[in-house]
Amino acid sequence: MLKQPAGVLAGVLLAFAQGGEAKPIAFANGTTVMAEYGAGTMEETQAFYAPYYWLSLGGGWLRTESDIDGRTREIRYLRANYLVQRWNLDDAQANVFAWGGLGSASSNAFRGNLLDRNVGLQVDYETRRIYAALMSDLHESSAYSQRIDTLQLGFAPYPHDYKDLATWFVLQARSYTGGLYRGVEWAALVRLFKGGAWVEAGVTAQGKPQLMMMFNF
Amino acid sequence: MMFAYELEKIMYEKCRFAFFALAATFAVLAPAAAATIEMDVNGLVCAFCAQGIEKKLRAFPATTDVVVSLEKKLVALSTKEGTDIDDEELRKALTDAGYAVKTIHRESESLDDVRQRIGAKP
Repeated sequence: MLKQPAGVLAGVLLAFAQGGEAKPIAFANGTTVMAEYGAGTMEETQAFYAPYYWLSLGGGWLRTESDIDGRTREIRYLRANYLVQRWNLDDAQANVFAWGGLGSASSNAFRGNLLDRNVGLQVDYETRRIYAALMSDLHESSAYSQRIDTLQLGFAPYPHDYKDLATWFVLQARSYTGGLYRGVEWAALVRLFKGGAWVEAGVTAQGKPQLMMMFNF
Repeated sequence: MMFAYELEKIMYEKCRFAFFALAATFAVLAPAAAATIEMDVNGLVCAFCAQGIEKKLRAFPATTDVVVSLEKKLVALSTKEGTDIDDEELRKALTDAGYAVKTIHRESESLDDVRQRIGAKP
């Protein structure tokens, strides 16, 4: 299960510079809890435990509200996250994560609860000064299909070290399918982390707040 | 002549006893050396993720302290006096944490000295 370095592919990942989120698996025997407020269109909370560095198991709650017609969906899910590949390079790390799960969805657009199927993918590349990631998260049921694609490009004004406060400036582009939002939602974010705590805050081009908090322990 | 020989023999025995007594005293009083182990690690770019390495290494009963430097791409640990951790165990711990170990080497300096040398925070 050892993931081997491959400089060429990491270079390709950087060239793509497609962004994402925090890693769905932090470290072996670690627990991650996360809460995100996505400018009123999405809210999500997650809790995962990783028995290995390449696998985490847990669940989450996702609420979306259409910016177009006001329809809401609430999805409660169980999910497994898997590290497909990791490249540990001299001064960088690149990862490919995939996940899948099942859940229960309710909405003001349909009655009762429906079985929700969830799959997703994240590709990221990171040095101590540059961060680039792309995340795609798909939820489907018999009544809907929605995908949230998030691209993040980050720049650190100074190279942080372990136990330092890390500061990142992040540009985010997010698109939604399934009638949730028209066009691309742009946001500028400031990310701070130290120890096991991560806080990210910013604002979209429409002036709506975007917030995320994550804790690893 | 006989007296001088006996005297020399007695002196020799006394010196020999004193030498062994001194050596035994040092052996009892001198502490067994504690090991400082340094590992050069690839992929060490994120402080958030380096937590996993520290957690893994602190889980060894022999570990007394751990230092991680992203700048130097270095992980160092100290062990209890008279103990050591096998290279294979260290390599497995780092691999299980999701990182690639390049080299493992032991240093005579203390972990505090290593911490000062690389500018790492306690």
